[in-house]
Amino acid sequence: MSIDLTFIGQIVVFLTLVFLMKKYLYGPMADLMEARSQKIADGLAAADAGKEAKAKAEAEIAEQLKVARTKASEVIASAEKRAAEINEAAVVKAREEAQQIVDSAREEVNAELNRARQTLRSEVADIAMLAAERVVESELDAKRHAKLVEGIVSAGFGNA
Amino acid sequence: MADQSHGDGGIAGHLQYWTVKLDESNPFMQIHVDTMLITIVVAASMFGFALWLKGRLVEGAPKGAQNFMESVVGFVDQTVKDNFPVHNPLIAPLAFTVFCFIALINTLDVLPAFLLGNVAHLFGVDHFRPVPTNDLNLPAAMAVSVFALVLYYEFKLKPVHFCKELLMEPFTNLVPGFLKPIVMPINLILKIVEELAKPLSLSFRLFGNMFAGEVIFLLIAFLLLGGGAVGMAAGFFVGLAWSAFHLFIGLLQAFIFMILTVVYLSIAHQPVEH
Repeated sequence: MSIDLTFIGQIVVFLTLVFLMKKYLYGPMADLMEARSQKIADGLAAADAGKEAKAKAEAEIAEQLKVARTKASEVIASAEKRAAEINEAAVVKAREEAQQIVDSAREEVNAELNRARQTLRSEVADIAMLAAERVVESELDAKRHAKLVEGIVSAGFGNA
Repeated sequence: MADQSHGDGGIAGHLQYWTVKLDESNPFMQIHVDTMLITIVVAASMFGFALWLKGRLVEGAPKGAQNFMESVVGFVDQTVKDNFPVHNPLIAPLAFTVFCFIALINTLDVLPAFLLGNVAHLFGVDHFRPVPTNDLNLPAAMAVSVFALVLYYEFKLKPVHFCKELLMEPFTNLVPGFLKPIVMPINLILKIVEELAKPLSLSFRLFGNMFAGEVIFLLIAFLLLGGGAVGMAAGFFVGLAWSAFHLFIGLLQAFIFMILTVVYLSIAHQPVEH
């Protein structure tokens, strides 16, 4: 328990050890840890930047989607309008055509009717004439009485 | 008790060093071979470990030894950063070395009290102390080295301020001008005592703790191991308990030595307040 030459020896050992530890253990490890912290910090910063870019891109996408949606709804609206117009026109046209068909049919019917009426009238007049002829065959002058019979027939069938 | 069981001087006999005297008349001219041997072995193994680890340091996720050493380095680094106002690249490695060196040497104390002594006896050496921190020379050498560094930085960073402090603080400033020359030497002497107390307390704290620990080991051995089977068993368990506790004390003392080293050097680095 005395201070002696060991003391000097211990100082030498201690200082040498400090030097060696600094050079071969502490220095490299501290550098390494420093580099690693730097790398981690860089990585975290890059991750943050990536996150930010992602958020920005997402906002952009949302904006574009909104624009596209508006455009699409506009297109749809105009298409619907056009379709309604076409539909309307088709309906109108169909209605007109139908009307025409109906009209022409009615005309035809009327013409047919008139023709039939005409035919009937002349046939009835002929029959009446024939009948009258048979009745008064002997004495009556066909020419003189034809006018009379026609007048009777027209009065009889006038509203037919 | 001294001559009870182990012949040559009992406990005191076990507290002798393996001493080589270079000059019989001068008590300073001797060397403790055991202390030198163990410290050199520990230092060399630390250096070997450093070289071994340096070759396999990886930059990615650390594993095993590297991971452990990184936690030690990180811990020391944090301690230094918390205490230091400025950056000095020497302080952290110094604190790291102090901590690891003392912790390793203190851990040697868990070896059975007589083991290395008995091994040494086989080689014809009378005395062998296994734990160099028990030898005042080692704590004193470290404390004086640290103290020399403190003085170096005091004089390098703020020479005028430091000299002024030695002469003027705290008493000389309190007396009127004509008394100052008389008070100055007293102040200087007190200041020197104050400064010298740093390495003294630093070295004696470590030395005292470890020395007392070893004495208690020897006491346990002497009191219990001689007392038959029961004594042997009791001695074994008490010794084991004390080993565990002493391991903790050793680590604690290493930490204290390290933190005080950092604190003393940090005081030397404190900027001058105006």
